[in-house]
Amino acid sequence: MNSLIAANISQRPLRTAISIIGVALGVILITLFVGLSRGMMRDAAERQANVDAEIRFLPSGNVSLAGNPLMLPSRYADAILHGVQPTAEDPDIQPKPPIDGVAAVSPVGEYVQGSVAGIGFEMVDGIDYPSFINTTHLTLAQGRGLEDGRTSGTEYEVLVDHYYAASGKDIDGRPVHLGSRITVLGHTFTIVGIYEPSVLGRVKIPLHTMQQLLGGVENCTYLLVKCERPELADRVLQDLRRYYPGNNVILTTEIPALYSQTLAPVEIFLNVVIGLGLVISVLVILLAMYTTIIERTREIGILKSLGASKRFIVMTIEKEAALISVLGVVLGFVVAVIGKLALEANTRLMIDLEPKWLLIAAMIGVLGGVLGAIYPALRAANLDPVEAISYD
Amino acid sequence: MTVLETIDLQMIYHVGKVDVPALRGATLQVEPGEYVAIMGPSGCGKSTFLHIVGGMLKPTSGRVMIEGEDLTAMTDAQRTDLRRRKIGFVFQRFNLFPTLTAEGNLKLAERIYAGKDNRDPARRREVLKVLGLEDKMNHKPLELSGGEQQRVAIARALINRPAIILADEPTGNLDTENSGVVLNMMRQLNKEFGQTIIMITHNSEAAARADRIIEMRDGHVVRSTVSTQAI
Repeated sequence: MNSLIAANISQRPLRTAISIIGVALGVILITLFVGLSRGMMRDAAERQANVDAEIRFLPSGNVSLAGNPLMLPSRYADAILHGVQPTAEDPDIQPKPPIDGVAAVSPVGEYVQGSVAGIGFEMVDGIDYPSFINTTHLTLAQGRGLEDGRTSGTEYEVLVDHYYAASGKDIDGRPVHLGSRITVLGHTFTIVGIYEPSVLGRVKIPLHTMQQLLGGVENCTYLLVKCERPELADRVLQDLRRYYPGNNVILTTEIPALYSQTLAPVEIFLNVVIGLGLVISVLVILLAMYTTIIERTREIGILKSLGASKRFIVMTIEKEAALISVLGVVLGFVVAVIGKLALEANTRLMIDLEPKWLLIAAMIGVLGGVLGAIYPALRAANLDPVEAISYD
Repeated sequence: MTVLETIDLQMIYHVGKVDVPALRGATLQVEPGEYVAIMGPSGCGKSTFLHIVGGMLKPTSGRVMIEGEDLTAMTDAQRTDLRRRKIGFVFQRFNLFPTLTAEGNLKLAERIYAGKDNRDPARRREVLKVLGLEDKMNHKPLELSGGEQQRVAIARALINRPAIILADEPTGNLDTENSGVVLNMMRQLNKEFGQTIIMITHNSEAAARADRIIEMRDGHVVRSTVSTQAI
């Protein structure tokens, strides 16, 4: 029977190839989309982990972590550290004490721009460099840090992380290095430093420059609050909520959960993609095997005349479908790996091909093939032997 | 024991609202080792008779006994199983698998008969030798002449030692020379292996090689005569 299956598959190479490609398509869809989602989440989590601050202070109503406009007054950073009192210029201001236990506060602007590489997006941070290095693990590997962006000649300077430096291209399409010019927020910036490890966005410009370019003068997206000791975080959090009501003050340890909330629609989308992969496999094999059965009606009649049971006929067709599906899965994996390498080499997208998801994709590919062959197999098994053997 | 017995076999096809009788009470007995030719004009029910005896059709009424087993009392699956164990078919159009070699066709029949691990290479060699096909085993059907293809089909029918070989116009697609070769081989198989053969034919010369000639008319067995060759 195995030689019959091999012969059947090799008899119609074009149809076999199309079937294999169809199954592979479903596998590629699942592996790349899931891999992309997992890779980007892992990358974001790793970059988040390099934030040293225990608390993130976001403006009212903002629990999303992506694409925030500049809505939070940057002066809150000073207020948290040093307190605020009414002044002659602003006599109505509510007095607030300095928050005890806070070691450093850094305002951060966050902007999502389309990737310079053309596929995907990338996060740009506007930072106040001196306070930022006190609230994160950012360390310069090459060059120097950022100025405040207020001095002429320093406003269009940029820091990039080591990953960007290894894979990015300058405005002329050449690999980047210190001194390279890249496009950020539609303007040309010069790389003055390369840092590691990756922290938040890969590209960092002076906060003041971001404020000027986005029109959010003296505002930021959020504050990073570093405590004198980690165990003070809960108390500092309570004080911040007490003195700055109406804002979202969260522990950075809660951020993964917030990401999960933000990415819940992505999970739904991934489930749709997985379902789509299964449907593609089922339909491709269903059509291929159905056509095969019609073409081979006479051969099925011969099998019946030889005394082949319905089970034998069903198993022959199912094994053929399973073999095509396995070949489709293998092709899908090969293309997925090539796709991963190509995308990671040419974009800043991260794709994780995790064994668990490869296994799921393989199972869906083969399961889809086996399911898709059930109807044609049963139809073949139930053909009338006399009619089948007389079929032209 | 009688290898085949049909009793008052009737078959009516329902074509739309019209009933078309193909068999109207065919009764026949075949003894083990007999070589029987069935003749008759087109539409007399020969092929229907053969398909019923081979378990591929269920008769409207009557009984078919094969080595004591009542085919007409069986389910579809049981008839398939009996066909696998006791019947070998040879068709006018050879009906070999075009994608398999001659040996592949035989192995497939063995596989269906005995499963994956119960093949009998010695039996295969013996059959191939008798049919003169030793040097054709790796050829696909399209690489063989009509006579060679029919010999492979006979080998396939014979490989699992069936109780009866049912041959439906086995020389209908062959020229005179190849027809002679195939008929000689069927005679040889009948003599050397004691193989029971029931052959439908329009060719009186082919029928004359059998032990007995059955004539059918309008769905009845009308005459049974010992052939001149047998005499």
